[in-house]
Amino acid sequence: MMKKALAMLVVMTMGFSALTACGSNKAADNSTTDTTESKAANDNAEKEEDVKESDSASGSDETIALFMTHMSNEFTITLSGAVEAEVEARGYKYSVYDAGQDVATQVDQIEQAITLGVKGIIIEPVSVDGVVPAVRAAKEEGVAVVIVNQKISDPSAADCYVGADAATTGEILMKKAAEDIGGKGNVAFLLGPMGSDGQVGRSEGFENVLKDYPDINVVFQDTAEWQTEPALTITENWLNSGKEIDAIVSQNDGMAVGAAKAVADAKLDDRVKVYGIDATSEGLQAVLDGKLAATVSQGTEDQGKLSADACADLLEGIEVKAETIVDNVTYTKDNAQEALDAIKK
Amino acid sequence: MKNKNENKKKILNYREFGIFIAFFTLVIVLMIISPNAFAKPRNLINILKQASVNGILSCGMMFVIISGGIDLSAGSTIALSGVVAALCAQIQGLPVIVAVLAALAVGAAVGAVNGFGVAYAGLPPFIITLATMTGIRGLALIVSGGSPVYGLAKSFENLTNQFILGIPILAIYFIVIVLISGFVLTKTVFGRRVYAIGGNEATARVTGINVKRMKLTVYTLCGLTAGVAGLLVASRTVQGSPTAGDGYEMDAIAAVVIGGISMSGGSGKWYGTIIGALLLAVISNGLDILGVSSNYQKIIKGVIIAVAVYLDLRGKARQE
Repeated sequence: MMKKALAMLVVMTMGFSALTACGSNKAADNSTTDTTESKAANDNAEKEEDVKESDSASGSDETIALFMTHMSNEFTITLSGAVEAEVEARGYKYSVYDAGQDVATQVDQIEQAITLGVKGIIIEPVSVDGVVPAVRAAKEEGVAVVIVNQKISDPSAADCYVGADAATTGEILMKKAAEDIGGKGNVAFLLGPMGSDGQVGRSEGFENVLKDYPDINVVFQDTAEWQTEPALTITENWLNSGKEIDAIVSQNDGMAVGAAKAVADAKLDDRVKVYGIDATSEGLQAVLDGKLAATVSQGTEDQGKLSADACADLLEGIEVKAETIVDNVTYTKDNAQEALDAIKK
Repeated sequence: MKNKNENKKKILNYREFGIFIAFFTLVIVLMIISPNAFAKPRNLINILKQASVNGILSCGMMFVIISGGIDLSAGSTIALSGVVAALCAQIQGLPVIVAVLAALAVGAAVGAVNGFGVAYAGLPPFIITLATMTGIRGLALIVSGGSPVYGLAKSFENLTNQFILGIPILAIYFIVIVLISGFVLTKTVFGRRVYAIGGNEATARVTGINVKRMKLTVYTLCGLTAGVAGLLVASRTVQGSPTAGDGYEMDAIAAVVIGGISMSGGSGKWYGTIIGALLLAVISNGLDILGVSSNYQKIIKGVIIAVAVYLDLRGKARQE
């Protein structure tokens, strides 16, 4: 009986804490000082409701809707935060949909938004093929369509594309690593989920650079599915293999941080350099702490801002370029602090 | 009657014997292929360390599976308890024990919700733990704001960073939890009751076992081990990641099943689970060192799981 009561208490506590979490975030939504992070938490909290509306300052009736693949990492949170800020700055209403990585959900959400009379949409596509029919349907209804971050298989179906180029990002990072180790030596790659667009593109960039460096050998490469702990484990095993590794080049910061921990644990931090991509706050901090040699950003803020601008331009009849590629920035100890401050503000 | 029992015993021995043979064959083969890397003492200790998180989780999973249930929420629980522990470890001056207790409390609380759902609400274990798996992942994302919680106290990192007599402390946690689990399962009334309700719930009820309370306890224990695993993952990676532990419940289930514990409950030996967890760690470590892609590792793991379950079914068919 005691345990039964205890169990009930636990359930109620959990339920209550979940409710208060939502409540406090909703309150934060109304304040102007709220940060990207708490906005993101709010978006997550409202996942169930699927859509979040917020009033714009100028009171325009037209809504720009953003369709995200998911809202569960810093990249997607920063991107959607930048879109929201710019959409509101341009005087439109903003709403965001979270597809939870499911293409069918995203298509349903796009169709639903069109039915609701949304005039402009920005899509971060779950699937490069899967969303194309929904994009065409939106165009037929006269909706302005901007694709962000990942190009769809038929770019002409949408009005324009704003994003980084995964291969270019991979090239910039690999070139930096190759130069740092003096153009020769052994490298190991930590890859994203095999077959994902990010992995394929970034690996292509790595390979492009390696053609110019015949003295660099790839001694290991394997996926850690963007995850920190699996990357830590794989790196521990690599370091135990007896093969010399000069640099570990990771396709995201999360895996790079795991690799750096394994390198530090093995007391090899002065010999093995670790590189990451995305310039997340954690990655930048690791660069400042000397754990990572460098991280390359995909211009996340710019992608969000420029895609929102393109969508607003389309609605206002201003011509936009069919393709906007944002610049990558390489962060080392010299310039990481600035970027970190910008994220934290 | 006696004869039948002996027969049953033999089949169990045969099954566990098979896993021991498989394990040692694999280790010896890898030692021959890679004498200068895999076979080094430093690497063998490394394997023990890497088996620890999954091994600890497998101990909890073993209780649930022997009782005839399943827990799919363990991976998400690792994320939530890790995030909560990291949030505590972020606060300067807060003793590290607070982070430890917070992680354990989160784990036990999730386990209690599962146990309550199974025992008192009558939900199938697969369904209620699927529900908590989804919900707890969402909660971890909300609590962490969607990105890893980092910048943690050194004392928190030291929870997994130390060595005792050359053995990583992570492995020592693992050994201690294994010994406790083995003792509870084989030497206590509680342990025998876990087997009893997994073997035949109705009979167990008739003999006066409080089946509901037992189930609540078993799931809470499993949640507790997930809380420990979450704490250790967070300390090892020096961050609380809301996406950590994804799929870890499947590795734990695999370790239990490979170890010869029947998915239908009521039978299996605790040391089978340990061999199962070590076997999985040996496969990843050995193949990583040889530079074999994890795509192949997945295939090999899949085959081993299928063979283990086949042996389980064949053992049961003989029994009948």
